[in-house]
This record gives sequence, structure tokens and C-alpha cells, in this order.
Amino acid sequence: MPPQVYALSQTPVTSHAFNADRSQVCISLNSNEAQILSPKGSEWVVNETLSEHDKVITSIDWAPNSNRIVTASQDRNAYVWQETPDPETGKIIWKPTLVLLRINRAATYVRWSPKEDKFAVASGARAIAICSFDEENNWWVAKQLKKPIRSTVLSVDWHPNNVLLAAGSADLKARVFSAYIKEVDERPSPTVWGSKLPFNTICGEYSSPSGGWVHAVGFSPSGDILAFASHDSTISIVYPSGPAVYNIRLPALPLVSLTWTSENGIVAAGHDCRPFVFSGSEQGWQEAGTLDDSKSGGASGSGFGAGTPGRLKSGAFATFRDADVRGQSSIGGAGQTDTKLTTIHQNTITSVRPYEIVNGEVTKVSTSGVDGSLVLWDTNEVSAITGRLGATHLR
Amino acid sequence: MDVNFRKIDIDQFDEDVLHESELYEADPRDPSEVLEEAKQRQAAVRTSLARSDIAGALSIVLENAPYGLNVEEAKNLTLQTLLSILNSTKSTEITGVIKSLSPDAQDTLMKYLYKGMGLPGWGDISGSVLLGWHEKLTEVAGVGCIVRTMTDRRIV
Repeated sequence: MPPQVYALSQTPVTSHAFNADRSQVCISLNSNEAQILSPKGSEWVVNETLSEHDKVITSIDWAPNSNRIVTASQDRNAYVWQETPDPETGKIIWKPTLVLLRINRAATYVRWSPKEDKFAVASGARAIAICSFDEENNWWVAKQLKKPIRSTVLSVDWHPNNVLLAAGSADLKARVFSAYIKEVDERPSPTVWGSKLPFNTICGEYSSPSGGWVHAVGFSPSGDILAFASHDSTISIVYPSGPAVYNIRLPALPLVSLTWTSENGIVAAGHDCRPFVFSGSEQGWQEAGTLDDSKSGGASGSGFGAGTPGRLKSGAFATFRDADVRGQSSIGGAGQTDTKLTTIHQNTITSVRPYEIVNGEVTKVSTSGVDGSLVLWDTNEVSAITGRLGATHLR
Repeated sequence: MDVNFRKIDIDQFDEDVLHESELYEADPRDPSEVLEEAKQRQAAVRTSLARSDIAGALSIVLENAPYGLNVEEAKNLTLQTLLSILNSTKSTEITGVIKSLSPDAQDTLMKYLYKGMGLPGWGDISGSVLLGWHEKLTEVAGVGCIVRTMTDRRIV
């Protein structure tokens, strides 16, 4: 099935999260409000707007079983939203609950734990707040993971055992922490990451191979493997019991988001505007191709094959020569087609998430990005990559 | 508007400031050892060049290239050695040579190309030679190689 493309807005989609049955999606359009959309024909229409934050929302997560939404924002706050009947009208509305994060910088990323009794908020305050519910006061309280984080935390991911947490940070490292909260968690059984796990135990610390910020982290479905993507255009897969780390260098621009599709597959995307597929096992990992078959992508579908810097150079040369000799400006007018990328997403993809899971394997993923569109991809439709330089080519 | 406040070093007021040295693992070798190695490599490169084995010479000079602090002399020597190889390669051979390099060596080569472009007029740097290599290297290793040059703190 070809990718389903929904152009949601002209502004970037900062984050997106679907509900359990995929009938609704919560997004933020680079503003302090989150919107809940549902499909109407081939369009998505706004059902409800969640406004409580003062500054731009950075991340959204929707818990599938308890049907609660958590939002994190640059205003250093997070809110948990729950559907409750309005005391006056009886109408069902989304009501926010306060979270006591105690951070002094922006919240950057948020994810519910698998059991949905905790969530983790990454922040620019060199800390991760692990939040659990305090019945007495009817709010969420946080316990902070601080050591040895040296810079902004950019992403987190929960281990399926509800205790371990992976975090990627701008201090060029990916780490695995214990986020064990005595009041909430049962004693976890030993994993490949360790057996004794009091709060803030560091179970693993891995550097990006060529010094890039770690943008994305993810545990495999079993939790026994960790993958992280960093700003040096590499993706690394860690087998802690090995101990083996496989680094894949990309010829393309850096990846900023990733999701596992099975124990042997990862879909990741970022500044190159198209999702890449990686496959492998304990014996080794490699790039398997892309989900964005550029021949079918884009509006006019005239895919442009392997490009070279030489072509780019002559393109730029022609632009300036036209401007000089003929007074033609390629901005606006005829030049508009020149700025269309051959990929489906027309700008950086900022989020890749699993959409459809069949027999434990992710068969569809959803992506959203700076171009304001939301795309659903079939993870089995992998095509080879043509052109080593990636999608940074203009048509 | 007064913009001088932008030049205040605010890090000095931060007790928990992140230092440059924490960003990468320092070279375990002693600076004098690194310099000695660079000299040996220069000799080995000359031998390879005499046999007109460009690919061999490049792999020698790009392996364990000096990085970090206190090894300026070794860095300069390595850059000089590298330039002698780049300048003596025929432009038709470049692509083949680059393809024979390991991905590590390709990344290191890109670092040196940028270093060279940052030092116009130094030694026998020729801008057109560096740009020629840059174009060919980008074709083989992709823009990812340039990204790694920008992010890597192990500066050559």
C-alpha cells in the first residue's frame, strides 16, 4: 500500500500521538496548544483544543489503555489530560492535571511507561523527571534522575519492564537508567541490563561515535537491545550482554527519531526527510533501504535519480547566471518547482512512531515533521536507496 | 543597543560547567610519542609515493591521526604529509583512491580537507586541489561525512 499523506498545516507539527484505536490523533502545531483531530472523509478535523501551556509544546504522548494524554512544554510544565464530565454541563471534556516537575529549564520530551502508572519528562535542566501519581493531593509528583547527565536530555524510551529508562542527551551520550519508584513498582526481575536496580542506577553509558548529540533512543520490543541515533549521521545498536555496539554511518543527513519494528528491524528518520530502514541481528546491522520510494513520491512523481555535487553546483550556477544575465529570479514564479524535494515529506521528519502492530511486529509507522504533514507508511515496502547523497536534492 | 553583555563569559559563574575535555576521550598516547609516530608515517608515505601507491600512502597517514590538545606539531606535520599526497594525485585517480579507503579514513580525510580550507596560503595548500578532493569525497561518502566532520570534537 502506498504511503497515506495528510497535509495537516502550513506550520510544523512538533509532535503527534495517536489514541489506542487510531481514531484520533493529538498534535501540536508549534504553538502552546495541542489539538485533537479525528478523520472526516480524507481530512483530519479539529475536535478539541487543549490549552493550558504558556509556551510551545515540545512533546505529546497518549497512553493507550488509560486514555490519558501527557503534554510537555517549554514553559517547564507538563499536564496530564483526562476525559471527565464537566460538572456543570455534563459534557465530556479533556481536563488537565498539574505535574510538579521542579525543573528550571524547558521540558523537551515525554513518554508514558508501559504500565501507564509513570511517565518520564526529559528536560534542558540536565535532568529527567520520573512522575507518578500522588492520590492524596491529586497531582503528579516527580523524582529526578540527574547524575551523570551533563546537558539537555533530548529523548527517552521505556524498557518493557516499566523500570528501566533509556535517555539520549546533548552531552553526546546515550544512557540506560533505573527509574524504579518504590511506591509504584514491584521488584523487577533481572534483565541483561542488571539485577539490582535502585533509583538512578546507571546500567549503561554509550558515546556517539563521532561526537553528535544523541537525538533518539529506543529499546527493542524485548528490551534487550538499545538503538540510538545521533547528530553525526550515525545510528548505533547496542547489545549489552555482548558487549557489542554496531555503528552504522549514513551517507545522508542525521536521523532525529527512531522506532523498532521487530527485534531485527528499525525505522528511523530525520533531516533527510525520508524514513530509513535498518535490519540486522546480533551478527551485525546494516541499512536496508527506505520507505520513501522517491519515484512514487511527491506530487508530479518525476523522481530524480542519483545526484552528484557537480549537478548541485551547476544548478546553483545556472540560478545565478539567470539572475545576472536575464534578470530572472528563481524565487517565486517558475522557480517554485525547483524547491520541491523528491521525498514525500518536504522538510525534516521530527517524529516516527509505531502505528499498526500485527503479531508483535510493527507493520505501519506514522511520521510527522516540519512540513506540517502526517504520513502513514507500510514498513514492508522497503526500496533501495538511489543516490548516495540523500534527499537533499532539488528536483 | 548595548550588546556587550553577549560577550560576558557566563560559564565562569557556573560551578557545573561542561568542559571541552569531557566531550571526547583524550588520545591515550603521549604528545612526544604522537610526534614520533607522525615522523615515521611521513617517511612511510614517502616510500609509498615513490612506488606511486597513493591509496596505501593515504591509509598510512589517515590511520590514528593526531587529535586533541598539545600535539600541534604532529598535526601540522600530518597535514603537510597529507597535502603532499593530495597534490601529487592525478584528478582522474581520486575517486578510485577514495573508494579504497575505510569509512574511518574517509571521515578523517574530510576533516583534513576542511582544516586545509581553513588555512589559506599555509604551506603548499591549493584551494582547487582541496575542492576537487572534497567533491569526489562527497560523492563517495555522502553529506553524512561532512556532518561528522562538523560534529566530531576530536579535531585534527
